[in-house]
Amino acid sequence: MRNKSSRFAIPYVIWMALLVVAPIVLMVVYAFTSESGSFTLDSFASMGDYLSVFTRSFELALIATLICLLIGYPVAYAMAKEGPRFQRLSMALIMLPMWINFLLRTYAWMSILENNGLLNQFFRAIGLLRLLGVDHLSLIRTQGAVVLGMVYNYLPFMILPIYSVLVKLDGSLMEAARDLGANSLAVFRKVVFPLSLPGVLSGVTMVFVPSVSTFAISRLLGGGTQMMLGDLIEQQFLGGSYDPHLGAAISMVMMVIVVVCMALMTHFGEGEEQAVVL
Amino acid sequence: MKGKRNGAGRLLMALVFLFLYAPIFLLIIFSFNAGNSSAVWQGFSLDWYVKLFQDRLVMESVYTTLLVSILATAISTVAGVFAAIGLFGLKRRWRSPLMSVSNIPTVNADIVTGVSLCLLFAAVFQGWGAFARWFNSIQSAVALPTRLTLGFTTLLLAHIAFDIPYVILNVSPRLRQMDKNLIDAAQDLGCTWFQAFWRVILPEIKPGVVSGALIAFTMSVDDFVISYFTAGSATSTLSMTIYGMTKKRVSPEINAVSTLLFGVVLVLLILSNVLELRQEKLAQRKSALQNPAEYRPVRSHSAAPKVTKAPWFRRAVAVVSVFALVGSVWALASVAGSQPVVNVCSWGEYIDTDLITQFEEETGIRVNYQTAESNEVLYSLLKSGGGDYDVIVPSDYMISQLIEEDMLAPLDYSKIPNFSLIDDQFKNLPYDPDNRYTVPYAWGTLGIIYNTTMVDGPIDSWSAMFDPANAGQVLLINNSRDALGIALMYLGYSVNTTDGGELQEAYQLLADAAAQGVYQGKVMDEVYQTMEGGNAAIATYYAGDYLTMLENNEDLAFVVPKEGSNWFVDAMCMLKNARHPEEAHAWINFMASTDSCLANLDYIWYGTANREAIEAYPAYYEELYGEELDQETFDIIQTPPEVLERCEMYLVLPKETRDLYKKLWISLGV
Repeated sequence: MRNKSSRFAIPYVIWMALLVVAPIVLMVVYAFTSESGSFTLDSFASMGDYLSVFTRSFELALIATLICLLIGYPVAYAMAKEGPRFQRLSMALIMLPMWINFLLRTYAWMSILENNGLLNQFFRAIGLLRLLGVDHLSLIRTQGAVVLGMVYNYLPFMILPIYSVLVKLDGSLMEAARDLGANSLAVFRKVVFPLSLPGVLSGVTMVFVPSVSTFAISRLLGGGTQMMLGDLIEQQFLGGSYDPHLGAAISMVMMVIVVVCMALMTHFGEGEEQAVVL
Repeated sequence: MKGKRNGAGRLLMALVFLFLYAPIFLLIIFSFNAGNSSAVWQGFSLDWYVKLFQDRLVMESVYTTLLVSILATAISTVAGVFAAIGLFGLKRRWRSPLMSVSNIPTVNADIVTGVSLCLLFAAVFQGWGAFARWFNSIQSAVALPTRLTLGFTTLLLAHIAFDIPYVILNVSPRLRQMDKNLIDAAQDLGCTWFQAFWRVILPEIKPGVVSGALIAFTMSVDDFVISYFTAGSATSTLSMTIYGMTKKRVSPEINAVSTLLFGVVLVLLILSNVLELRQEKLAQRKSALQNPAEYRPVRSHSAAPKVTKAPWFRRAVAVVSVFALVGSVWALASVAGSQPVVNVCSWGEYIDTDLITQFEEETGIRVNYQTAESNEVLYSLLKSGGGDYDVIVPSDYMISQLIEEDMLAPLDYSKIPNFSLIDDQFKNLPYDPDNRYTVPYAWGTLGIIYNTTMVDGPIDSWSAMFDPANAGQVLLINNSRDALGIALMYLGYSVNTTDGGELQEAYQLLADAAAQGVYQGKVMDEVYQTMEGGNAAIATYYAGDYLTMLENNEDLAFVVPKEGSNWFVDAMCMLKNARHPEEAHAWINFMASTDSCLANLDYIWYGTANREAIEAYPAYYEELYGEELDQETFDIIQTPPEVLERCEMYLVLPKETRDLYKKLWISLGV
């Protein structure tokens, strides 16, 4: 079979060359050229001006990823302990929100967090605002709101891969550990967690990458005050300050940083392929 | 993994589900709201569901989304299966690096994929244009189109490109688990390769194919970022339509369409769960009969994988094929019904939409009406190849820049008889000195809109925009020209200054205010909702839009500050590469007519350059509303000369100054 079936790889290799490799090569070319088409490093030279955007993006994405992990792991763990019917139901319940457009779900948060939004109205009704002596709590257009948006949108991407690893764990391993005298904390620390690491890693990847590059969430919930890398790139292509060369350079730098982070992480644990196999 | 279930785990899960579903329930509830607010309940109604089916923009974007998702899923599932088999057949030395390349779209940030594809398409179109021009010049038998634009095809290609890797990732593990001798055995027994594929390989990898297809479909439906960069202006997926709406006001129609989609998916999920359970019980009973000793309730997922996965496959195939059928019928219908079109790009809340319907009925020309956020964004759209427009409505200074860069086509005024109705005061303005390219659409002034209940005393100076006393209550306008412009005006400089020092000073003023937390946000069309809802006290925006907001919140007031302001004209122009010049002229002429200007004026509240319309407006208003138009309102629509005296028009700036604007503007956001 080997020899005969390998011919099917050829069209795919051509496809990849055209629609995966060529665009990235083109992006690199753009990053290193000026408007007139000559070679220049100007785009990279001005990168220092955007350092604060880089640090803010990575910081917020990191916080969001950590929160997702802290919430997602216990949920995945609890799910994996349940019976098959309950498991299937909760899987469905976690997948289901993805069918409602993420922009719309984020927009719903806007109406909750506005100064006159539902949450502030609720606080006002129970007298909390009067207690604090303020007219409203500033919830929207803050870093917290952006992180909330990220956690809300990407939490399922943390739960699902961890769950799919945990559910396949061989129960006899844990029994063996317990028989050998480990208490439940030790079982978790020495057996369960190390074995679930591939799921954790792919979950972290799947939350961190879209978080660090988002522009819709920061735009809606950050109100243009919390500029992220995604906003910066979008601005250079379809936004208010057209400059595809600078945009390509920023995209490239971001891509390199993300790839290096991911490579470092996968170096510590293997199983990248678990990421999207449900 | 089995273990003790505990209450804490269940509680945590309940909380997480509450967190995940609370906003969704909110969306669903407000799809039944009588009003158009997404925060204030005004009674139950099904109006939005009715309106939804009449709204062409929303319905078309739903179709586009479904069509592109179904086609991309179908194509990438087939292609992905063969690619996976192909890769699997390679030696490891080759397979590993190719798999890494294949995984790039899944690991890369969406925005990088989107942007790089956008660059690729633009480059290909450029190359094609050169080739087509050369080809057309050496022969005359076949005329190749010289201009390609982003659209459904590029959108579909992009979706396939990011879907295939997910299919491969799901199929490959199944291939690895398969007993390789099976295929050899099948072929030894006389099967051709394809027979072996159908009878041996496919049944083995089926679960992987199904989950791959499902993931691909989910990814396609939910995608926003990649579509945003590759679909261009004329094709819009549901996500893109929603993104456009989130900037001003999301119509509850969108809540309605989401509720419907949610309902369909929910029903499908419940059905499949019920069916699966029934099948499982059947299987248990069977195995119990055959082998009573081994009877035990199915506990974990892995206990009966084949039984549970098989019906999924059939059902998924059935659902997908039904959708595909509907989709292709629609595609055929839309091709068959090809009628003349005109692609128009204007600003948000800037037309009485009844006029579009009226024009379509009168002329049989279909109007694709889109909006951009600001002049700068429009320019980006045009430059990046994303905007396939015929008519655009830029402001004065941007018109000059577009003329300078040779992007506009001169108009044939013999086809625009209504141009004679334009007041002389609006002809031959500096942006188009010989009046060869433009027909004025509307004009107005920039000013401060504020909520009288939230500030002390009336505002009359731009200083309100920089005053730390208003911290957290001010909305800065989100485009470089206006934002730096107000700072320049406050400092007493010309808005058309090219002096780097003055601009730097203006920038510093804004940056300091931003650092002191004066600005709640930078907004364009979001301003409507924020100001109407009383969520901010002060904003800079345009006169006409103030009157629109006033309809929804009567506490608002408008002022053209004493330091002076900008007055602007937005004019209709035709792009040089417009594909529908005849239709474009018809549209421009229609919009310049007195009737259109009157109706539009009454809707958008901006001044009109049509002499007859502005004279007739007070009487028109009285007839329509049964009350006299008060002078104050009229003065906001038609800025009186004494106010106009202290206003300056933006002129196009030299390239170096434009670059400085860009740089300062980005630094302000950073």
